[in-house]
Amino acid sequence: MKFIKFITDTKPNPNKLGSKASNLIKLFQAGIRVPSGFIIDIKSYKYFLSKTKLKRKLKELFSKGYLAQDIIDLSKKVKSLILASELPKRISANIKRAYIKGLTEFGKKPNFAVRSSSNFEDLKDFSFAGQAESFLNNKEIDNILNSVKKCWASIFSPQSLLYLLQLKKKKNFEISPLKLETGVIIQEMINAQVSGVLFTANVTNNNLEQILINSTWGLGETITNSSIIPDSIILNKSEFEVLKIDIGEKAKMSIPDNDTSSVILINTNEQLREKCSLTNLQLKQLYELAIRIEKLFNYPQDIEWAIEEERVYILQSRPITTIK
Amino acid sequence: MEKIAEGLSCSSKVEIAGEIVYVKTIEDVIELFDKADGKICIVDDAGITTLGPILSELCATVCTTGGAGSHLAIVSREFGLPCIMSARFSTSNLSALQGKKAKIAHNGQDRGFLYLID
Repeated sequence: MKFIKFITDTKPNPNKLGSKASNLIKLFQAGIRVPSGFIIDIKSYKYFLSKTKLKRKLKELFSKGYLAQDIIDLSKKVKSLILASELPKRISANIKRAYIKGLTEFGKKPNFAVRSSSNFEDLKDFSFAGQAESFLNNKEIDNILNSVKKCWASIFSPQSLLYLLQLKKKKNFEISPLKLETGVIIQEMINAQVSGVLFTANVTNNNLEQILINSTWGLGETITNSSIIPDSIILNKSEFEVLKIDIGEKAKMSIPDNDTSSVILINTNEQLREKCSLTNLQLKQLYELAIRIEKLFNYPQDIEWAIEEERVYILQSRPITTIK
Repeated sequence: MEKIAEGLSCSSKVEIAGEIVYVKTIEDVIELFDKADGKICIVDDAGITTLGPILSELCATVCTTGGAGSHLAIVSREFGLPCIMSARFSTSNLSALQGKKAKIAHNGQDRGFLYLID
């Protein structure tokens, strides 16, 4: 199917699919559980830009570079242009076909997470962490199609444009947002009871013999976007041993809201706040996955995971960019 | 020196001193670009997703929520900026700290501290 690749039957290819998608495929091929889904390749984004004539408009907008004070307006302009443009029929038709194929394979009607997978994120030196956006819990095909455009538009989000300015200023690494390209990953939404991030080295003290986990109730975005204080657990790496548990307040939880096809933030009840979000068994499962995944990529990894009814799903894995 | 906050030291262990700015929105962040020299940014959970790239020379961040796995912590490590997450403040009036001189220090392991200096 043109523009679309299913995770289960394609080869990893960061240039065609973006690094996040490529790493998911590698994980799947190694027998690690990832949410089922498909990828809209980077070519689709380029095709969209040329078919809608946006490529030329964007070139004009960015022809003179930009300053920090221009970012909000510039970002708004680009986002409006992208959202107002119609998806080329060839792309939307194939997404619809893939969506229906996906539903048939799943055997049920899940909601979908729509996430960016760019060719610049998740590299060894620059993570671009948090710059490209994800859109969760999309219920119908129309929500999905709109979220695809929102992913494309997130290349030009204020935080993304600001990050590029900072790379130029602090790291002498110059790249135009016009050179950034993104694929889009569409996967079944995991209705996680517990989610989090796992580093296969302790990034706070550079200890390569430890594993560091941040964990919380509900969806993991509350950790990555810093809206709560998560549980923090340190494990020994050479063999499974829990070295330290710091219970975080976890004051809010992000959960899917099926009425609005989005996610909502609710207050966590008192009992859950005081409880560690991971059991010893789950810690052991995460430990074993961590060792496997680090071996697979042959480099310390920053891993996002989610647990739904005792099944651990890996949502993302990328190199730790700051290990010495 | 008065200790006003303590949290998880997630990034560079350098001690730095600077002027506090309390940042809440992406507009505040953009306002700070090119003026962030010598500033220590305090952020809380409101609007923090926009703060990933809050970095300029000598900027450090102190966040009342988050952990080592937060995007802000990841990006702080990439740019070598001190970053204290899940910071507990001795005051609830963070706006009143705006403009005050402060210092960040670490205990050599995983705790980080914010002090007011005269």
